[in-house]
Amino acid sequence: MKATSKSLIALSTTALALPGIAGADAPPTVKTLSYKISSYKEDELSRKEAPLGDLDRYDIDVHQFQLVSPLGRNMSLRVDANYESLSGASPWFTSAGLDGNPIVNLSGASGIHDRRSELAIGGSYYLLNGSISGNVGYSEENDYRAIYGGFNGERHFNNELTTLALGFSYSSDEIFPTDATLFNRVSDESKHSSSVFFSISQVINQFSSFQSALSITEQSGFLSDPYKLRDSRPDDKTQFALSNSYRRFLVEADASLHINYRYYHDDFGISSHTADLSWHQNLGRRFRAIPSIRYYSQSSADFFTNIDDFLKPLTEYQSSDYRLSAFGAISGGISFVADMGNWKATLTAERYLANEDYSVHSVNQSSTALVKYTRLSLGIDFTF
Amino acid sequence: MDPSLKRYTFKAMGSYCEIQVYSDSRIEAKQLIQRLAGEVTRLEKKYSRFEPQSFLSDINASHGNKLGIKVDSETQALFNHALSCYEQSEGLFDITAGILHYIWDFQRGIVPTQGQIDEVLPHIGYHKLVAKKSRLFLPKNMQIDLGGIVKEYAADATAKLGRDLGITHGLINLGGDFAAIGPQPDEKPWTIGVANPKEDASLMAKIDITRGGLASSGDYERFFEHEGKRYSHILNPKTGWPSSGLRAVSVASPLCAISGSFATIAMLKDEEDGKKFLEESNLSHVYMDSSEEIGGVGLKV
Repeated sequence: MKATSKSLIALSTTALALPGIAGADAPPTVKTLSYKISSYKEDELSRKEAPLGDLDRYDIDVHQFQLVSPLGRNMSLRVDANYESLSGASPWFTSAGLDGNPIVNLSGASGIHDRRSELAIGGSYYLLNGSISGNVGYSEENDYRAIYGGFNGERHFNNELTTLALGFSYSSDEIFPTDATLFNRVSDESKHSSSVFFSISQVINQFSSFQSALSITEQSGFLSDPYKLRDSRPDDKTQFALSNSYRRFLVEADASLHINYRYYHDDFGISSHTADLSWHQNLGRRFRAIPSIRYYSQSSADFFTNIDDFLKPLTEYQSSDYRLSAFGAISGGISFVADMGNWKATLTAERYLANEDYSVHSVNQSSTALVKYTRLSLGIDFTF
Repeated sequence: MDPSLKRYTFKAMGSYCEIQVYSDSRIEAKQLIQRLAGEVTRLEKKYSRFEPQSFLSDINASHGNKLGIKVDSETQALFNHALSCYEQSEGLFDITAGILHYIWDFQRGIVPTQGQIDEVLPHIGYHKLVAKKSRLFLPKNMQIDLGGIVKEYAADATAKLGRDLGITHGLINLGGDFAAIGPQPDEKPWTIGVANPKEDASLMAKIDITRGGLASSGDYERFFEHEGKRYSHILNPKTGWPSSGLRAVSVASPLCAISGSFATIAMLKDEEDGKKFLEESNLSHVYMDSSEEIGGVGLKV
């Protein structure tokens, strides 16, 4: 093959930088209104795992609305509104059963009913070689309130083939548990999270691209679960995550393969690996099917226990939260997308199974409260 | 139902323009085409040399102004591409050469005197422009003509807008500068006939494009004969005289803007240099030289 001509490189570089041509980052030219409804349902616990009380766990219904609109020639506006209703029960405390194995005691028979409302607004300004964006949001539950905001910038280099992004976000949360006096819970606590992330994306050729992102989050304040009878965690936590994704379009198959891997570590002692694989198969011009599979494994937090120790002094850290135990999880799902021009519908089904046996990390104490859930969602996008 | 083809023809940028779009709905196609034609009109209004209200007229009116003029990011990008054309053509493709058209009147067939040409030449040369951040300083008596760049850019920008609006099959033609939004509905490419400069009705080649652009430059569009000599409208900014190289060039590439730059530079060069320049580009192209020989690469004949 002949070498690419110097003139072709020079003229292509400047032509590709022309704003009407540059593809990577352009303000939207149409308005998009989206609605998505999701139903998340955790499987019931078995009588063996929870000999007493209710077996039902969380059911959550989520409604998400989004509007993305151009604002003049160089800006865009984005508004998100979410509403969630939650019911069921969560593990209240764990104890040893008659055989000495841990059992779960779910929160009161009346169960938990909560609602979460969230509103977020954001804007982006598009420059010749990138964009800058900012957003603020507010979220409220019966016992929880969060105010957050963030900004980030993106810049394209190398003929738009390389993109660097840098962002910061901050969240201030307030926790005021219900029935605080009745159950001797904390009455009003707060926590703060600050995050910084950096990412690099590289288009390798017309069929494949790669992205790598690093994020560091610092949390401080009340990080325990106020509803558990005995849950005491450190007041600050540093989280580190490195994510990598590779995408490849396969012309013959008219499909694209997405591979993602994420490594996570925090100073509670949890490390995790997440790997997922999805296959985006085009079916004619209007339809797409996306089967996907994900594997997850984490180590336990240093202070995890599967049987709450009520004799331990309160100053010593301990938690029986299953999310802090060592476990693995496998999930699989499928999405169908129908693209009708102005209308687009996406239907997704996912099944998730967590189990200590799936973990590649060593499991000293396994949690009895690991979840299995089914999630179904339907999303509609309307462009006008 | 098979999508139907909707065509719309209009006049813009001093040329005959046509937008072809395949859509399931005729009403939707009509709305989409209006948006696309609107983009062409926007760029024409902004960069026309003949429109007193255009931004280009503001730039040209700023010649000699010590404070310069602030130019937006789109204009900066166009000037950047123009600089790249100037460098790659070793000064032959020059957006400051437009003032030669004041003394060369192709419509009335008037050839300027050498004295007139010599008077104008000092006011030509892209390297005399000064840009500081977003300000452009146009020296006194210099003028900018983006005619060789904007139409091609407009074809690309309109095709890109079409893709952003969800159109998958369509073709933009702005007076012979083509940009494909996407292939025809059966995934077949668009076959574009390149006119023969010798005979009005015949084709000298056919070029297929599916997604990129095709642009042509040739002396068949605008020329005149004076005292037995044929003068093309393509003027050499170094000599002030029409170029005497190839008679017609068409180039296909991933973008109409790239095609246009290659076609124009090949026309401005001496015949043999022009052919070599095209060959080294590795792009599909066709040309006719001064002895009316047709040559090229990657064509359907």
